[in-house]
Amino acid sequence: MSDHKKEIFLSVKDLNVIYTQSHKVVHAVNGVSFSVPKGTTLGLVGETGAGKTTIAKSILRILPDPPAKILSGEIWMDGEELLKKPEEGMLDVRGQKIAMIFQDPMTALNPLMTVGDQILEVLLLHNNYGREEGMKRAGEMLETVGIPAERYGEYPHQFSGGMKQRVVIAMALACNPELLLADEPTTALDVTIQAQVLDLINQLKEKFRTSMILITHDLGVIAQTCDNVAVIYAGKIVEKGSKEDLFDHPSHPYTKGLFDSLPSLAGDDEMLHPIAGMPPDPTNLPQGCAFSPRCPYASEACREGDIPMQEISPGHFCACIRKGGLK
Amino acid sequence: MGEEFIKVEHLKKYFKVPAGTNHAVDDVSFAIQKGETLGVVGESGCGKSTLGRTLIHLLEATDGNICFKGQDITHVKGKELKKIREKMQIVFQDPYSSLNPRLRIENTVMEPLKRSGRFHSKAELREEATRLMELVGIDERLRMSYPHELDGGRRQRVCIARALALNPEFIVCDEPVSALDVSIQAAVLNLLKELQQQMGMAYMFVTHDLSVVRHISDNICVMYLGQLVEKSSTKELFSNTLHPYTKALLSAIPSTDIHRPMQRIQLKGEITSPINPRPGCRFASRCPYVQEKCHQPQILEEVSPGHFVSCCRNKEIG
Repeated sequence: MSDHKKEIFLSVKDLNVIYTQSHKVVHAVNGVSFSVPKGTTLGLVGETGAGKTTIAKSILRILPDPPAKILSGEIWMDGEELLKKPEEGMLDVRGQKIAMIFQDPMTALNPLMTVGDQILEVLLLHNNYGREEGMKRAGEMLETVGIPAERYGEYPHQFSGGMKQRVVIAMALACNPELLLADEPTTALDVTIQAQVLDLINQLKEKFRTSMILITHDLGVIAQTCDNVAVIYAGKIVEKGSKEDLFDHPSHPYTKGLFDSLPSLAGDDEMLHPIAGMPPDPTNLPQGCAFSPRCPYASEACREGDIPMQEISPGHFCACIRKGGLK
Repeated sequence: MGEEFIKVEHLKKYFKVPAGTNHAVDDVSFAIQKGETLGVVGESGCGKSTLGRTLIHLLEATDGNICFKGQDITHVKGKELKKIREKMQIVFQDPYSSLNPRLRIENTVMEPLKRSGRFHSKAELREEATRLMELVGIDERLRMSYPHELDGGRRQRVCIARALALNPEFIVCDEPVSALDVSIQAAVLNLLKELQQQMGMAYMFVTHDLSVVRHISDNICVMYLGQLVEKSSTKELFSNTLHPYTKALLSAIPSTDIHRPMQRIQLKGEITSPINPRPGCRFASRCPYVQEKCHQPQILEEVSPGHFVSCCRNKEIG
């Protein structure tokens, strides 16, 4: 996404995913392309149902098929096409090269297993550790995320929400993955605990130079952790660029709308400015720009044909027919 | 002397749990004036929802007084309670679980109307339900839908219509927008504000989101483990934050301003348990300014007119 010849670690090209539900076809991801340079964080922002999680799960190839189906697209990681890899090959990728942090730490952990053993399980599966050695390493991982190693033998219910999420992070980082997919890692947490977890993620990223995709609907979280941002609407990227591009010059009317609808901590506006209307029905997407029915700037031309991505400044792309978006 | 609309004094709500007593709400006092919004902020488990529920009698208070328009309603029962319930309503956090999935939304809105016994024919009921749905911006054509056919924002509007059905004077809004996307959240917040301007209801707005609370409230109470640590007008609270917990809470919100790096106050440790708490400041275990005297019982002290803070070191760390 930047014009420097940075080493691209992951690139997704023209990804299309559908879900089939009793003869209806849900177009969840529609021609999404992006890349993540090594050691950087890409933020994926969008509302519920925009297709953010589906993109992450496509990368790991853990979408349930059926109902989900990856129709077309390429996912390149480190010179390898993941979608063409045999299923057995993916076992080495998942957990080892790519790890995922799920949204809800309450359901991501096995309630019948001690937290230490859950981390150990990952280590034994992917590394040639002996049990003894693995337990030591699992204890170290707990320490890394700020949980005393003595709590190795405790069960998830003995931890608070923030600590459980840290256990999930420890598990994800146990094999030093090269790519971390974090799906709303702090949404279920309180703000003060969220701040601790975001700090931790930032520190670990620096320490291990992990590349990361952070999925969130919280623009504040994006501002504090990401290098690049892609805004998703109805399964399509409508705007992408560096964090500075997006926050200083939001150009797509949808991006602008998201910023405007936030209650600000500084502003004294009497009323907020919500985006009019509702997200479109994914089984029946409108012609042309999917945002056009809600867009205050829409014209006839928006409803005809595909709206291509334009590069409005180096590295800053926007899918709007208005020249340069709203810039 | 002008009577307070709602006055709460030394309210306590304890729960017996196997490990002891959970002090969910512990000696909380405040007042709400007619037509104003009191925001209650705090993290999960601080007792803010319990406070809201105790106030409108969904839970029985353990100790203390609740006065509604000069009448002590702490222990009212039977018919009298039913009469008061009409005046006090609640909107819950999760519009997915607070609507009956087997009732059409029109019936959901009509339910309280039927109970009131004020309407005598189906046509009258329906007319009133239509008026309410119009008021909250639900399309006429959705009248016969079931909750699962609506998105979160519309479902929350149905919950608001139901709460408004009996012309309440006071509504507890328990995290009404935290389950919604930002673009929809903004619309629901606007709706609540408009309705208040039209009908002059008082709100108690319970939330963990400080930017939301700032937007909607006239006064704010900050709660920590069952106690009020700071209360003041919204303006004062944001311009002159005194309690170390409020400061930490404010600094922890991820700002969307990318050019101003966050100056976060690091809190160590986790929230301690409200079960059999020790005397003294309950925030002491995480507080960066903790001293010996913090382990003595704290009092909520008025430091400037209308601004209360419960911290023995507020002057030193100001």
